[in-house]
Amino acid sequence: MRHMVKVLALVLFVTLLSSVGSAEDTIRVGLSAPITGNYAEFGENFKYAVQMAVDEINAQGGLLGKQIEVVVMDSKGDPKEAATIAQKFVQDKSIVAEIGDFTSTCCLAAAPIYERYGMVQLSPTSSHPDFAPSGEYMFGIVGTQDAEGPFNVKYIAQDYLGLKSVAVIYINNDWGHVTKDRFVKAADENGLKVTIEQSFLEGERDYSAILTKIRDTNPEGIYIAAMYNEAALICRQIKKMGWDVKLLAPSSVFSAKLLELGGDAVEGLVTNTFFALNDPDPRVQAFIAEFRKRAGRDPNLHAACAYDSMMILADAIRRAGTTDRAAIRDALAETKDFPGITGSITFTEVGDVVRKYKVMVVENGQWAIKRDYTRD
Amino acid sequence: MLLQQLVNGLAQGAIYALMAIGFAMIMGVLGLVTFVHGEVIMVGAFAGFYAITFLHAGVFFALAAGFAASWLLGIVIDATCYRPFRDAPHEILLISTIGMSILLKSLAQVTLGTEQKLVPDLVGEGFIMIGDVRILHIQLFVLAVVTAICIALQLVLYKTKVGLALRALSMDKEAAALHGVHVNRTARLGNCIGCALGGLAGVLLGSYYNAVHPIMGASAGLKAFIASVLGGLTSIPGAVVGGLLLGVFENFAVAFSSSSYRDIVAFIILILVLLFKPSGIFGRKGIEKI
Repeated sequence: MRHMVKVLALVLFVTLLSSVGSAEDTIRVGLSAPITGNYAEFGENFKYAVQMAVDEINAQGGLLGKQIEVVVMDSKGDPKEAATIAQKFVQDKSIVAEIGDFTSTCCLAAAPIYERYGMVQLSPTSSHPDFAPSGEYMFGIVGTQDAEGPFNVKYIAQDYLGLKSVAVIYINNDWGHVTKDRFVKAADENGLKVTIEQSFLEGERDYSAILTKIRDTNPEGIYIAAMYNEAALICRQIKKMGWDVKLLAPSSVFSAKLLELGGDAVEGLVTNTFFALNDPDPRVQAFIAEFRKRAGRDPNLHAACAYDSMMILADAIRRAGTTDRAAIRDALAETKDFPGITGSITFTEVGDVVRKYKVMVVENGQWAIKRDYTRD
Repeated sequence: MLLQQLVNGLAQGAIYALMAIGFAMIMGVLGLVTFVHGEVIMVGAFAGFYAITFLHAGVFFALAAGFAASWLLGIVIDATCYRPFRDAPHEILLISTIGMSILLKSLAQVTLGTEQKLVPDLVGEGFIMIGDVRILHIQLFVLAVVTAICIALQLVLYKTKVGLALRALSMDKEAAALHGVHVNRTARLGNCIGCALGGLAGVLLGSYYNAVHPIMGASAGLKAFIASVLGGLTSIPGAVVGGLLLGVFENFAVAFSSSSYRDIVAFIILILVLLFKPSGIFGRKGIEKI
């Protein structure tokens, strides 16, 4: 028994020593992402992309003479888990800032904790307009629905597709509500008629009842505010019904998986993005090649945003010249015209980014860039 | 539009019915509720999916693959969850099925990946119009398969010796044993048939919605449970009626309010049945509900 205690004490001592050791010569960054669960693929993309950025920085000599280390924790896409992870990160003195989470819901749930303890939460993908304004330490780089909603109405529904009326189907969560609200508001302001708004719950598989109901209102187009999984199913079930209707969706559907899951049912679907695989920019192409090598699949917008998040954070730490959490926040807030692979990034007063987009259409089973407003 | 929703509801209800029949079968021979049925359905759906995508199998082979995989799973479940605890209190078996369900769900996520997978169309995309109502080929196919299975099952249950043993066991375990029914073997057979029907339902679910997912079992299992409670738990005609009614109610709920009410309606039905007619539509009196 006494032996046991001694051994335990020794083990404890050694682990303590080693953790102190690693804290001294590395800068540790937390990554909260859905590694398992419904959004696992997005979480994996986060992990690959952030690690890529870190390896790149470390290969060039690291930051402030130290190597960066990523601490990954699995939020499962569950806001409760995201909040628990936030607690762990803020308590761990060796972690200087956090990147994540994937869903707006998780980001919002964790936000008060990061805010209270003064740690940056830099979300690559939260597009909820309430997220960045919810605290001094909250930053989002994906751009919000405040910019995307009007773009989808004016440039996609009206200019590109020439629609007079549109129905809206949206996922019943924070993101879905905001995406729907901003789109409908912009539609009202621009004289695009919204025939019906219908929500569905996450994980829904059967859309026949809801689509039957929407079809009765006879819209020219249907705006699908969902992730690509659900969007692909919705498009397939629309096609099965023999319904010829124009399909448009927010950037959440812009993924190679949509083409794979949707097949010929998503042909002609229009969306927007600021990151495309067929972008001729050499930096973008280098990112894509490296991501393919590591993950064995094409990166998506979320992966590119996660990569840019890590790069922006590193840039802020370099400018701050210290790993003090508050100093990193101040440096981050001053980010201006950062040349990211997703475009030029400048934070607004509240900590989000106003994006410009490209119009993307599914043509012969491929994403085609139809119009590009990102350089306007 | 109401007729259209009725058709949608019947097709969906037919799949619920098939799941509920399997559930009722297992409930009958074991005398208890199983919580692993949803995962059995999921495994069947994936077996069908892999048969289609990797073996480029036709629709009937896919159904057979789902049937066979779930049958085998039925043997495993019987050997691990039921057989060792046959004389133990009911709660033990109940909990072991919950454990099995968690195990299978997690195992599927680890080995098969967490992504939703696309199931190609099995019977083509066409539809027929009757007046204003559009009936998809896949809906006709689902209805035909479920009807055929129901008829086949009734034949097995009422025209064969095995069927007689199954029915006897479902009525009274001790009396059946006294009349020379091999209880363990018959219970295993009943469980396997129930599971295999669940697997078939899984393949149909996958091809109806064009998607399979490792966590699809949770809601499928609950719907099977609700449909069989509605029908009277161990009654097979009851399960069919219960499944169809549930499908139609759900679709009407979407038609009259919103899609978010689909599950609410399903669970309200469950609570109302348990409160006011615990024996279900076709159930026998005095059966124990868990």
